[in-house]
Amino acid sequence: MKFSHEILETNAGILLIGTMIAISIGGLVEITPLFLIKDTVEDVPGVRPYTPLESRGRDIFVREGCYTCHSQMIRPFRDEQLRYGHYSLAAESKYDHPFQWGSKRTGPDLARVGGKYSNEWHVQHLNQPTSVVPESVMPNYPWLAKTPLDYSDVADRLRALRTVGVPYSASEAEYQANVKQFGAEVANTLRIDKAQENLVAQAQAGNYDGDRSFVSEADALIAYLQVLGTMVDFSKVKPEDLVKYR
Amino acid sequence: MAASNPAAGEQYDYEIIKKFTVMAIVWAVVGMFVGVYIASELAWPFLNFDIPYITFGRFRPVHTGAVIFGFGGSALFATSYYVVQRTCQARLWGGGLIPFTFWGWQAVIVLAALSYVNGYSQGREYAEMEWPIDILVEIVWVSYMAVFIGTLMKRKQPHIYVANWFYLSFLLATALLHTFNNLAVPVGLFSMKSYSLFAGAQDAMTQWWYGHNAVGFFLTAAFLGMMYYFVPKHAGRPVYSYRLSIVHFWALSFMYMWVGTHHLHWTALPDWASTLGATFSIMLLLPSWGGMINGIMTLSGAWDKLRTDYVMRFMIVALSFYGMSTFEGPLMSLKDVNALSHYTDWTVGHVHSGALGWVAMISFGSLYHMMPRLWNTKLYSDKLVGVHFWLATIGVLLYITAMWISGISQGLMWRAFDDFGNLQYSFVESVAAMHPFYAMRAIGGMFFLSGMCVMAFNAYMTIRQGVREANLVGQTAGAAA
Amino acid sequence: MLAWLARPENAKPIGLIIFFVTFCLIVWWVYAGDKKRAARMEEPKNIPFLDDDLDQETKDKSNG
Repeated sequence: MKFSHEILETNAGILLIGTMIAISIGGLVEITPLFLIKDTVEDVPGVRPYTPLESRGRDIFVREGCYTCHSQMIRPFRDEQLRYGHYSLAAESKYDHPFQWGSKRTGPDLARVGGKYSNEWHVQHLNQPTSVVPESVMPNYPWLAKTPLDYSDVADRLRALRTVGVPYSASEAEYQANVKQFGAEVANTLRIDKAQENLVAQAQAGNYDGDRSFVSEADALIAYLQVLGTMVDFSKVKPEDLVKYR
Repeated sequence: MAASNPAAGEQYDYEIIKKFTVMAIVWAVVGMFVGVYIASELAWPFLNFDIPYITFGRFRPVHTGAVIFGFGGSALFATSYYVVQRTCQARLWGGGLIPFTFWGWQAVIVLAALSYVNGYSQGREYAEMEWPIDILVEIVWVSYMAVFIGTLMKRKQPHIYVANWFYLSFLLATALLHTFNNLAVPVGLFSMKSYSLFAGAQDAMTQWWYGHNAVGFFLTAAFLGMMYYFVPKHAGRPVYSYRLSIVHFWALSFMYMWVGTHHLHWTALPDWASTLGATFSIMLLLPSWGGMINGIMTLSGAWDKLRTDYVMRFMIVALSFYGMSTFEGPLMSLKDVNALSHYTDWTVGHVHSGALGWVAMISFGSLYHMMPRLWNTKLYSDKLVGVHFWLATIGVLLYITAMWISGISQGLMWRAFDDFGNLQYSFVESVAAMHPFYAMRAIGGMFFLSGMCVMAFNAYMTIRQGVREANLVGQTAGAAA
Repeated sequence: MLAWLARPENAKPIGLIIFFVTFCLIVWWVYAGDKKRAARMEEPKNIPFLDDDLDQETKDKSNG
C-alpha cells in the first residue's frame, strides 16, 4: 500500500505523531550532544562557585533584569578583546544558573567588569549612572544601597543550587572534596551550614558600599560585579590550551 | 454539507472566542503602551523616575509578556477556536475546560506582569515567569491542547484543513519548549525564586532553542494557521496551492527546531552547533517564501480587492513583512553578518519587523474579519480600519528604519579602529550617538500604538452595535410572540 | 565513514545533506502522481467555504 498524505490529513492521531516527530528531531540532534560530549565545558583552573554574598548579588542582577541591556559573553574579536578583555570561556559560566550571556548591549558587556572600577565608583554609578558617565541611559538604582539585603534564606538558596549541581557542601565529605578541588579557603565559603556567617563576614571585610552598619543589596551586587571574569588567571593559561577550551 | 447557516452562533461556541477577541485587543493596547514607555526610557532616561517597578529591566519583560502571550496568545486562542470549529464543522469539545483556558490564560498574563514589576524573574528572555506561573501555564496549555484536539476528533468534515495543522504544531511545540526550558529547582515551596536546572553553555543552548522556537512556532507557525484560513476566507477564493501548503508545513515544522543556535554565534557554545543552526536558518528561507507566495497568490485575479478592502490590505502587508523578515533572518544568521549585528539594535528591529509587521498585522486582519461575524453585525467603521492601517504601517516603517540605522552604526562604531590600532570610540560614545534613533523608534511605536487605540475604539463600537441589534431582534421577537 | 560522521566539524555538510534529501522527498511525495491525484490533493482547499453563512455575505456587501 502506498503511503499517501491523505492518511495524515484525515487522521488526527497520525498527524499529531508525525508533527511531533518532525519537530523533535532538530532539538534532539543539537541539544543531546551538548550534554553528552565531555569537552563542551572544560575544566579551567580558577573557576569556582560564587560565595554566598556574590550569589545573592547575582540574584539581584537577575531580579533587576540587568541582562536586558548587558551581555556577559565576550566574543573572540580584536575589538572586543581590546574593549572588554579575553574572550569568554564556557567554563567561566559553568556554575551560572541561569546563564546570563544576554543578547543585547545597550550598555557594555560585563563578563570581565570585575576589578575594572573601584567599589566607590560602582556605588556612585548604581546610585546615579550619569554622575560618573554623563551620556549614560541607565536607570538610577538608588534603592540598592538603602535596602538591607535579605539573607535569611541564603542557605536554602545554596541548597537549591546544590541540587542543580553547584558544589556547595552540605556534609563533611563534600567539604573535603571541595578542599581538594578548590583549596581550603574557597571550600570554606561553599559550606551551606556557614552561609549566613560567611555572607556577613565578606560584606564586612569587603565593605563594598562604603557602609558597614548593615549589609545592603548594593554590597551583594557589587561583590558579584567585582568577581565577574576574574576567576581565571589568563597569564597562567597557555594560548594553545584556550583553543581547546573554546 | 452545510449550505446556509444563519444560526452559526448556536452551532458553534462563539462566547469563548468573543472573550479572547476582546482580551487580545486589551492586551495589545496595554503591551504596546508599555513598549512605547520602555522605548522612551531609553531615549529619555528620566522616565525611569527612580521607581524600581518601572525601570527598564523590570518593565521590558512586562512588554514582551503582554504583547507575545497577552495579545498574540489571546489572538491565537480566539482564531484557533474559530477556525477549528468552522473547518471541522463541529462545536468545541471540552465543557468546563473551555472557559478554564480563558481565565487561566488571563491569570497567567496578569500574574506574570505583577511578578516582573516586583522583581521575580527567571532571567531567561521571553520565559521570565517564575515556577508557580510556569506550572499554571503548563496546566492551561494541556487544557488548550485537549480542547483543540478533542474538537478535531469529533469533526464532521473528514479532512483536517491545513490551518489546523499549523495550529497543532504550534500547540505541540509550545508545550515541548515551555516544559524543557523551564526545568528549575525552587528555593522552597513558598519561595518565588528558582534556579535553572542547567548552567552556562547548556542553559544558553536550551534557552535559545526555546527563544527562537517561540518565534518559530508561537509567532510564526500559529499565525500561518491564521493566514491559511483568514486570507482565503476573506478573499473569497481558495488558497493558491494546497500542495504547496503541505510542503510549507512539513518543511517548516522540521526545520525550525534546528535554528535556535544562530543566537549563539561566536560564543562559548561549540562552533558546530551554531554553524548547524545557521545552515538550517538559510534553508528555512525556502519554505518561508513558499508560504508567503502561497498566501499572496491566493489573491491573484482579485487584486482589485486591495484597493477597497483595508482588512485585505492588512493581511497582504503582513505577508510582505513575513517575506521580508524571513529573508532578513537567515541573512543575520550568517556568521559574518552576525558578528556585526549581534548585541545591537538590528536584532531588535528584526524582531519588530516580524512582530509588528507580520504577527500584529495578520492578527488585525483576522480580528477585523471575525468581529462582525462573532457579534452578527457589520464593522462600525471601515474608514477607521483604513486609519489604523496607515498608522500601523508608518509606525512599523519608522521603527525598523530607526533600528537598522542605530544597529548598524553601533556595530560599526564598536569595531572601528583609528590609525594607531586603538579603538576609535568609547562605548558610551556609541550610546550617545543612538539618542536620535531611540527617539525615532519611540515615535514609531507611538504611531503603532495610536493605530491600536483606533482599533480598540472601532471594536468597542462594533460590539455595542452588535449587542444593540441583538437586543432589538430579541424585543421584536418577544413583541411578536 | 562512521568516524567521519561522528566528527562535530562535519555537522554542516551532514545537515545540508539531511535537509536536502528530506526536502526533495517531501516535494516529490507531494507533487508525484497524475492529474487525478493532483486534483484530489487540491480538493480540501475549499473547506473554509463549506459553512458559509449567507446572511453575513449579504451584510458585507451592503457595507462595502
